[in-house]
Amino acid sequence: MQTDDLIAHLSNDLPPVRNGAVMRILLSAITLGVIGSTLVMVLVLHPRHDLAAAMTSFGMWTKLLYTFALTAFGFWLVERAGRPGADMVRPALLLALPVLAIALLSVIQMNATDSDPRLLLMGHTARVCALLVTMTALPTLAATFWALKRLAPTRLALAGTGAGLFAGAAGAFVYSFHCPEGAAPFIAVWYSLGIALTTGIGGFLGPRFLRW
Amino acid sequence: MIAQEAQYRDWMLAALMGDAGAYRMLLGGLTRHLRSYYARRLDAAAAEDAVQETLIAIHTRRATYDPALPFTAWVYGIARYKLIDEYRRHKRRATVPLDEAADLFGHDDATDAIARRDVTKLLDKLPPAKRQLVKDIKLDGVSVADAAARTGLSESAVKVTVHRAIKSLGEDLGEDLEKRDADR
Repeated sequence: MQTDDLIAHLSNDLPPVRNGAVMRILLSAITLGVIGSTLVMVLVLHPRHDLAAAMTSFGMWTKLLYTFALTAFGFWLVERAGRPGADMVRPALLLALPVLAIALLSVIQMNATDSDPRLLLMGHTARVCALLVTMTALPTLAATFWALKRLAPTRLALAGTGAGLFAGAAGAFVYSFHCPEGAAPFIAVWYSLGIALTTGIGGFLGPRFLRW
Repeated sequence: MIAQEAQYRDWMLAALMGDAGAYRMLLGGLTRHLRSYYARRLDAAAAEDAVQETLIAIHTRRATYDPALPFTAWVYGIARYKLIDEYRRHKRRATVPLDEAADLFGHDDATDAIARRDVTKLLDKLPPAKRQLVKDIKLDGVSVADAAARTGLSESAVKVTVHRAIKSLGEDLGEDLEKRDADR
């Protein structure tokens, strides 16, 4: 086809683009993904049996706030990654804030007079935590990839990394409802490791599965 | 700021609201830059394919343009992505030079044609034998050895001839420019 004909063809039928089209694609996909992750947590892992009591504990809110902050900045990262020419540096820098906060809280807890540093760091589930976070994150990762593919990512490894970070953080948020731990050092190390693992998977898969 | 930014952005915003006329102007304008951009990086057939692919990508992904960001950067992001895609398909090379949006919008196929015409006009000032040598070696990328074999000259004679020809063209060009400045 001649390029002039192509232009005529493309501009022939031009429906207006609705406001917030990008957000609608992202939010619908991510809602499905988080539902998938929640199903994994509820059906495969099961919520912790003392969940109702734990909801008022400091440890529970440490996990939820840390992972929610990473999820929110991660979402912004994904939204930027789907738009050509958009800058990803600012959302990436903001990720340092929750990481610094959990590191600070960890230092405070480790240095408390009656603390048991080994227990704070290792809890009772250190060996499985990172892998289970990653497993919980996988449905969200798949959904995020599906949404990004419908946008226009132009740096695929970077976009995949952003999607992995977002999905890892969302998966960790969901995993919080299963996990019995609540010490900041544990969360800082093992939750972050699970998120990092998912981030790496996303970065690796990006160039393979995000082409459009 | 790229010179075309304001005009193209206006057209794009109108197109997003369904203005087909503005959209046609926009795609027509972008095509001239895209042609030049790909022609400098791909062979002719692949370049025109890449132009069309990019136009289709611009069309199907137009919702991803954020009006808070420069429009030229958005188009450049897509053009660069399609270039990488093209390289990947032909396994040519894995890296793309770190140029930027200005490189896409600094050229169009009209300015490229003027540049070619200017070079041809300049070369016409040379005697035919020298002109052929300069054209072969400097424009068409023939090796000095091949050119020497073709003309029957020694390699060093070819080099000296081309060097002198270029130098005399430079002097001519200098005189022309001085004359033009004096006329002002």
